[in-house]
Amino acid sequence: MNSLITDLAQEIFSGIALGSIYALIALGFILIFKATEVVNFAQGELMMVGAYVNFFIIQGIMGDLHVPTGWMFLMGLVGSILFAIVFGWFLDLVINRPLRDESVFSIIMATISMAIMLRALVSMIAGSESLVPQSPFGGAYFNLGGVIISVLDLTIIIGAIVLVSAFYYFFNKTRWGIAMQATSEDPIAAQLMGVPVKRVYALVWIFAAIVAAISGVLLSPRASLIDTNMGFLGLKAFPAAVLGGFGSIPGAIVGGIILGVIETVSMGTLSFHFHWVKEINDIIVWIVLIAVLMIRPTGILGTEEIKKV
Amino acid sequence: MLKLIGVETFYGKIKALHGISLKVLEGQLVCILGANGAGKSTILKSITGLVKPEYGTIHFKGRRIDQMDSEDIVKLSIGHVPEWRRIFSELTVYENLLMGGFLLKDDDLIHERMEEAFQHFPILKKRKTQQAGNMSGGEQQMLAISRALMLKPKLLLLDEPSLGLSPLLVQDIFATIKELHESGVTILMVEQNVNQALKIADYGYVLTTGKIFLSGTYKDLLEEEKVREQYLGEGKYNRRAKVWSG
Repeated sequence: MNSLITDLAQEIFSGIALGSIYALIALGFILIFKATEVVNFAQGELMMVGAYVNFFIIQGIMGDLHVPTGWMFLMGLVGSILFAIVFGWFLDLVINRPLRDESVFSIIMATISMAIMLRALVSMIAGSESLVPQSPFGGAYFNLGGVIISVLDLTIIIGAIVLVSAFYYFFNKTRWGIAMQATSEDPIAAQLMGVPVKRVYALVWIFAAIVAAISGVLLSPRASLIDTNMGFLGLKAFPAAVLGGFGSIPGAIVGGIILGVIETVSMGTLSFHFHWVKEINDIIVWIVLIAVLMIRPTGILGTEEIKKV
Repeated sequence: MLKLIGVETFYGKIKALHGISLKVLEGQLVCILGANGAGKSTILKSITGLVKPEYGTIHFKGRRIDQMDSEDIVKLSIGHVPEWRRIFSELTVYENLLMGGFLLKDDDLIHERMEEAFQHFPILKKRKTQQAGNMSGGEQQMLAISRALMLKPKLLLLDEPSLGLSPLLVQDIFATIKELHESGVTILMVEQNVNQALKIADYGYVLTTGKIFLSGTYKDLLEEEKVREQYLGEGKYNRRAKVWSG
């Protein structure tokens, strides 16, 4: 019995860590959706690009060492964020700006093709073999009553909470954040207030790229694996955004963590004790999503959109 | 202050304005009248760059603005209250006003202007933290006007301020507009409510299908039979009614 509880606690903890990464990817989805009503299906690929950039920066400065030191990891992080700023701006320039007057649907299609192109481009540049990044914390952990808390997981969780809170604050309390909301609701009226709409859009894409890069940097040492397919994790984070309430920033963290925990617990304890759970592991996330949406169609923290003239 | 010469604006291939020329002098309240679809709103949109005129020129204070971006035109001190108000319904009243003052860099100044708006429309102060979309049409119109006044524009464009409001509220709104005008704001207004609008206007233009068809002062226009016929409900039908009644 006791071991069951420890196992469960262990699974819940790693579920929260995994869910925090989902939350960060979901945050990227939500930021772009909130400001432009576009669902950016290249969000997972942005994360992949961030992970690769981080890996190459660390490799470049690491030389012969096998485990990166803390400051190398930090340099890698800063480098990938700087790269994300340029990259996000570039995406706004090639996807959002030329298609601004087209329907939202065509922009979404453009993000899908961008995702495919990025996958191909990265495998051309970096090779199609998977890379194995090292955690800067090595395998550091501490034991909390039988539950193993890895320092890396803890960093991921804290990082996600800090980022989500920071963006929540930005969107709701600062002038530029409110201008983003205003632009999303009515770009023409925002323009008449003197809000530089084009710059607002560019800023949103840059933010989304930064969040994606950070999630990539955090995810890769946890998974000990970087390959061009890691962008598909974006499709797993998408239900997290929907579950939390698409458009709600705190919803990202709620939805992400719920999905992360469900995933690890169902793959672990539940599958061990109930064999039929093993069969539905891949779809259990979607079952929960449908169940929640049946009760609350707007997601857990989502609000109904006011559509009034 | 504002001068349009031969402005022609297209929506795709459809010509909405057929060579509009008009001017607004400093301190005037000028009104553009006309039926639905005559192109009234298009004139205002052309001025603030929401649509770009194909031909013709628009000058504001001696500066040509017809090819400038909206953001830059707004910076020249032109406020535009668009048709149907277009307040940000998901934001609070406070946040709407904050957006109105987006170009002001000084927080104290923003709050000072906000207080002025609250003095003008005390109801907005009561609703400060309420979502703007939940307010009544009249309150939303007050918010839309206050939002445009946050930047203290030299020229204010009003697009059908009475649209969708009850007759009582229409009077309120027109009283407010009159007050604004008397406080020195130059106003170019588009209206369908001809009677009310002409009463407070210094000068009026009558628009039909993208062309200016008449212009003059309130008195001139009132004497014009066509205006009375088409806009003031004193047309042939009414005269004939008199014939029938004896």
